[in-house]
Amino acid sequence: MRAAFLAGTGLLIGLAAAGCSSTAPEPQNMARTTVQTAPADLQLTCATATATQAGVDANKVLPVGSSTLDATRYQVDLNASGQRYTCIVDNTGNVTSVQKAA
Amino acid sequence: MTGIMRLGGRLRRAVALSVAVGLGTTLAFADQTQIFDPKTHKWVNYDRKKARQYYAAHGQVPDAFRRQVVDFRTAEKPGTIIIDGNQHFLYLVLPGLKAVRYGIGVGRDGFGWAGIVRVGRMAEWPTWTPPAEMVARDPNAVKFAGGMPGGPDNPLGARALYLYQGDQDTIYRIHGTPEPWTIGLDVSSGCIRMNNDDIVDLYSQVQVGAKVVVLMQGAALYKGV
Repeated sequence: MRAAFLAGTGLLIGLAAAGCSSTAPEPQNMARTTVQTAPADLQLTCATATATQAGVDANKVLPVGSSTLDATRYQVDLNASGQRYTCIVDNTGNVTSVQKAA
Repeated sequence: MTGIMRLGGRLRRAVALSVAVGLGTTLAFADQTQIFDPKTHKWVNYDRKKARQYYAAHGQVPDAFRRQVVDFRTAEKPGTIIIDGNQHFLYLVLPGLKAVRYGIGVGRDGFGWAGIVRVGRMAEWPTWTPPAEMVARDPNAVKFAGGMPGGPDNPLGARALYLYQGDQDTIYRIHGTPEPWTIGLDVSSGCIRMNNDDIVDLYSQVQVGAKVVVLMQGAALYKGV
């Protein structure tokens, strides 16, 4: 009985430890800022897509803001030669929407 | 650490405010760096004091701010520099959808900027010349009014990349620092600072003319767009 109790306790501790360690980021990801932005490469992916849609030089399209929409998608706000655009991109780099902001 | 201070602080902030509002962006962000504490499994604020303590204990910055090759999906050419000011990373684009990621220190509140510029010139162990208003307010800066020679105590560190908009010097630089514990923080007057080993590494892989994209949500100023 006592052995079973100890085994059960050990299992629970093990599960708890596993749960904790699974939430720990990789060492290279152990830094962040409180302002959550889209990854830089995804912001640039949106800039490229927006340049194509807006018909402007890609060197004149700058992401100026971004936010998380859900677990897999980001919204990126862009300035394209003075015009504002909004782009939606997922975490695999697929751009699903580019629209001129109202 | 460089010459952005040439405009009076109040005037500069007013100009920045009008530019930012004109672009329709949000100005103020409570942007706080945090690091993950593996002992407590909690994210903790990483401020100047904490950063100094960490550096004293470990002799280097946290893993996330150390140089490493990462995946980076972009159409930008290899050799292009991408700066993510919010997350305190600088990426040097490599072939094959990869990039070298370095940790950086960026402009403190009100001094962050964004834009598309280029490397206009490069220097080894650059001379640092304090702006006139720094000379006026800081007696220690007076002796360097004519320029502080390059060396280990020079605020620009081992190397500097001078950022230009067209043919005009923006007064911003990507440079080294004698204060490596400040990597990961918002500490500068708008320059991008890296530890000396990293700026030497970057310098060796970059050429004059390289495109530099600076991303900074909540920037106070925009260049080149």
